[in-house]
Amino acid sequence: MKILAVLIGLCLVFLFVWERVDIVRVGYQVERLKVEKSRLERERDQLQVKFSALSAPDRIAKMATEQLGMVPPQKGQVIMVQAKPAGDPQFRPTPAEVRIARNDLSDWRR
Amino acid sequence: MAAPLGRGRRYITLLLLLCGFGVVLFRLATLQVLQAAELTVKADRQHQKTVSLEGVRGTIVDRHGKMLAMNLEVPSVFGVPTALDSPAKTARSLSPVLHVRADELERKLRQDRGFVWLARKLDPEQGRRLERMPMEGIGIVLEGRRFYPKGPLLSHVLGFAGMDGEGLEGIERRYESHLHGEKRVTVLQRDALGRTVFPKKMSNEQSPAPGHQLVLTIDEVIQYIVEKELEEAVARAEAKSGTMIVLDPSTGALLASAVSPRFDPNAVSALRPDRWRNRALTDAYEPGSTMKAVLAAAAIEERVMKPDTLVFGEQGRMAIGNTMIHDHEKLGWLSFAQVIQKSSNVGAAKAGMALGEQRFYRYLQSFGFGERTEIDLPGEAAGLLKHPREWGGRTLASISMGQEIGVTPMQMVSAVAAIANGGVLMRPYVVSEIRDAQGQTLKEVQPHVKRRVISPETARTVTTILEGVVTDGTGGKAAIAGFRVAGKTGTAQKIDSRTGRYSASQFVSSFVGYVPANNPRLAMIVLIDEPRGEAWGGTVAAPVFNRVGEQVLNYLGVSSDVSVKLAMASGKP
Repeated sequence: MKILAVLIGLCLVFLFVWERVDIVRVGYQVERLKVEKSRLERERDQLQVKFSALSAPDRIAKMATEQLGMVPPQKGQVIMVQAKPAGDPQFRPTPAEVRIARNDLSDWRR
Repeated sequence: MAAPLGRGRRYITLLLLLCGFGVVLFRLATLQVLQAAELTVKADRQHQKTVSLEGVRGTIVDRHGKMLAMNLEVPSVFGVPTALDSPAKTARSLSPVLHVRADELERKLRQDRGFVWLARKLDPEQGRRLERMPMEGIGIVLEGRRFYPKGPLLSHVLGFAGMDGEGLEGIERRYESHLHGEKRVTVLQRDALGRTVFPKKMSNEQSPAPGHQLVLTIDEVIQYIVEKELEEAVARAEAKSGTMIVLDPSTGALLASAVSPRFDPNAVSALRPDRWRNRALTDAYEPGSTMKAVLAAAAIEERVMKPDTLVFGEQGRMAIGNTMIHDHEKLGWLSFAQVIQKSSNVGAAKAGMALGEQRFYRYLQSFGFGERTEIDLPGEAAGLLKHPREWGGRTLASISMGQEIGVTPMQMVSAVAAIANGGVLMRPYVVSEIRDAQGQTLKEVQPHVKRRVISPETARTVTTILEGVVTDGTGGKAAIAGFRVAGKTGTAQKIDSRTGRYSASQFVSSFVGYVPANNPRLAMIVLIDEPRGEAWGGTVAAPVFNRVGEQVLNYLGVSSDVSVKLAMASGKP
């Protein structure tokens, strides 16, 4: 009986010590994760700035024209129209519109 | 005999020990209990140094959430002169990383102080290089630095923030109370000898609330189109500067606002203040013939003129008092619509005189001249509109053709936007929403009606006249294929500062108008200051209106007014 009481007492002591040690260990882990979170947030912000700078219209236009040989659409090359399917008397135009490039349009005109 | 003596010595020794412990305990109690609070503060003062750093500033985004301004945590480097063995050697090592001269760094490191800033708000890459070269007596803390990732885009509207994170110009200044975050405090530790000072940790000590996010009415793409076309026009005309504004006439929302030349808000320290002044708001100019659009609205509303009322052009010359009013060509009988379309000064002066001083003044006030538009940007000028009792013999005629009155580009485009908006003057605005750091809306700005200035019927009539300016008048180069454009050209002589008289070589060329005229989506003004060579508003400014209008309408997906018959596929093979 005495041995059992001593064993229970020892278990309680170990449990207490283990709990304290674990609290300290988890505390360190939390601190490490906080630092890591802070670092990742900084990295995210830096990437956000980089993304915004890389997607600046100035840069996109420069790359499109100088590197890819693209040109802005010339006068009349883009015509905005409202689509109305043939044979549908119930059709009411919606605000949605269709973009038609000039080369397509020339076929239709013909 | 020995035993009592020994016992006595033991008692005395015990007594002395007890007294000794008693003294120690008493001192301990005094220090740890009685003087605990006072000594803790004293110890903290000796071992810690508190550095106050600005809070995380809120971001600024355009109407589609595109980032225009945001803060980054970047390294700032400090030194502890008392902890350095060789300030000269340390300065030489740091100089190439910090881009600061070695002798300047050495001078700072030789100061008899416990803490000294060496370089603040460095690039993240510089911080990484510093971390790889740890040095005794040198430390790093993180501070917020403002970044404008789009560079010069929208710079005159955004403004910029200073080194300590406070807004100094533009939106950054106007919305300082929303943008700035809570101040935060970093505690730096000293050792027992008071030699080293280092932060407790690199991350924030506290988590103060960051500033609010501002959502603008600006569209990044429209802004880019405007800036590109304006820069090109200013370069083409070899002009001193240029200004362009795009408003949504139905709400007063600012879609774009540009001043040329631009500046990069990421590097303002080397620039003079006149480079970052937002001339669209701060600079009043004599508008010249663009004022005739307002004159037409007032004259038609007051029924002193109709579009077909005949006015004699006096063959391009008319005397008023001791002065002479000239037209750019000899004009005979004209309808009032033609007076505006051909921009006749004589005809405008006659319409102004028919209207009378008091009535015209009332309309000028009503259209917003002489008062700020109340746009939510700092530094706006009220312009110059004198009271009729201060008017001279020629003033009525002069104002009718846009002289003797000072207006800002924002006032002029707002006034013309009122005509586009069926006669209702809106208050222009640039911030549409304010959100907290979690993205919750704190305030949503609704369009604000200032007042009705003319009736819808008058607005329609004036629109027809202004369409004639583009189809048959001086503004032909503003015409956009497939769209009805209404507008007015202006070519205003500037006052020569040396003579105090109108200059024969310095002009402000402008065009103000809206498109599509039947259902306006854009109200725009283009101003080119001191173009070289041909300076007519119709030649210099109107083409910019055309190029911007065409691209922006295409971008917005506004369908053409011209009907095109298309054979739609039925879907059957």
